Amino acid sequence: MNGLFFPSALDPVPGHTAALTLAAVLLIAAIGKLRDAALFREVLANYDLLPAALLSPASVALPLLEALAGALLLWPDSRPVGAPLALGLLALVTAGIVINLLRGRHRIDCGCGGNDVHTPLSWSLVARNALLAVLGAAASMPVADRPTVWLDTLAAAAATLFLLGLYACANQMLSNHPRLIELRDAP
Amino acid sequence: MNEALILSNAMLWAAVLALLVAVLALSRQIGILYERVAPMGALTMDSGPKPGESAPHFHLPSLDGREVQIGHAGARSQLLFFLSPTCPVCKKLLPILKSVHKAESGWLDIVLASDGEQPEHEAFRRRADLGAFPYLLSAELGMKFRISKLPYAVLIGEDGRIRAKGLINSREQLDSLFAARDLGVASVQEYLDQPQFAKERA
Repeated sequence: MNGLFFPSALDPVPGHTAALTLAAVLLIAAIGKLRDAALFREVLANYDLLPAALLSPASVALPLLEALAGALLLWPDSRPVGAPLALGLLALVTAGIVINLLRGRHRIDCGCGGNDVHTPLSWSLVARNALLAVLGAAASMPVADRPTVWLDTLAAAAATLFLLGLYACANQMLSNHPRLIELRDAP
Repeated sequence: MNEALILSNAMLWAAVLALLVAVLALSRQIGILYERVAPMGALTMDSGPKPGESAPHFHLPSLDGREVQIGHAGARSQLLFFLSPTCPVCKKLLPILKSVHKAESGWLDIVLASDGEQPEHEAFRRRADLGAFPYLLSAELGMKFRISKLPYAVLIGEDGRIRAKGLINSREQLDSLFAARDLGVASVQEYLDQPQFAKERA
């Protein structure tokens, strides 16, 4: 039974699903940030963690690292490098969110949605990133050597699409939530 | 038996993904609904003083001590730019605003407006080098113009009437305010809605 809960290697389907989902999440986020680096610079400035001189380089370096982690996660051979990089980036940005939440600056934009969606900081964002980290941990595990058939490919592809859709839903709801609270507390 | 299981598996995946698309669409629609029914009315395009109407009159002190008049007829037009120090899009537009200030200085005064704690805004004004612009802090100003989204700009003509207004996300949108003024319409959208264009788009 122990092997089921703490397996030494993951079945190919959940393994590939986790890695591909995280790769897509990172790549999509990186493209969004790189397309409007000036905006992302101001988002970083709001976090109030970096000295002004580092803001511009960091606003390009962070999405580039994100894209690199995403790309490395795409192929099974480079996953042992990509997964720790992705986990490190997740830990870094989540630490930034936690620090600002503890400072009470929860109204600033997280910079994680698209450019037109305003998502303020919240502990739900931290929870979302923790779930992404679970995907990262799964992606860093070795994949079990089992002969796969086309049905496994279908399952992995469909499950990846499913998780990405779920992630989009979660982001939409994270951006809806403060507006619901505003409405509830309205006189 | 095997074929039946494979078929049912594939059908279930298709059903799950279709349901997920539906849930995503619903949550987006809910987001739009929240926005529309918000107390201040995010239907900013349709609420507050309309283009063509006289702007509400204000007499407010700027952060640098100057007195600023809003909505009075005078020799020059005014661009009211509503912003906040924590709004990334607003800060991205500041260099554009400075260049507009230079290019249009013959006829246009740019006035920045926000609300909140004065020390925070003073620090922001120094940091972003906004000394050239009057900077107003007034919750009432935002309320009268029904501002619920930032950055928002209102162009007031020299006759004290609102010429154009709208949510601004880019230089193009800022320029479209001036284009709307030159064309004598409330917004570029309205211009495109005029009969001669309606036919082209149809």
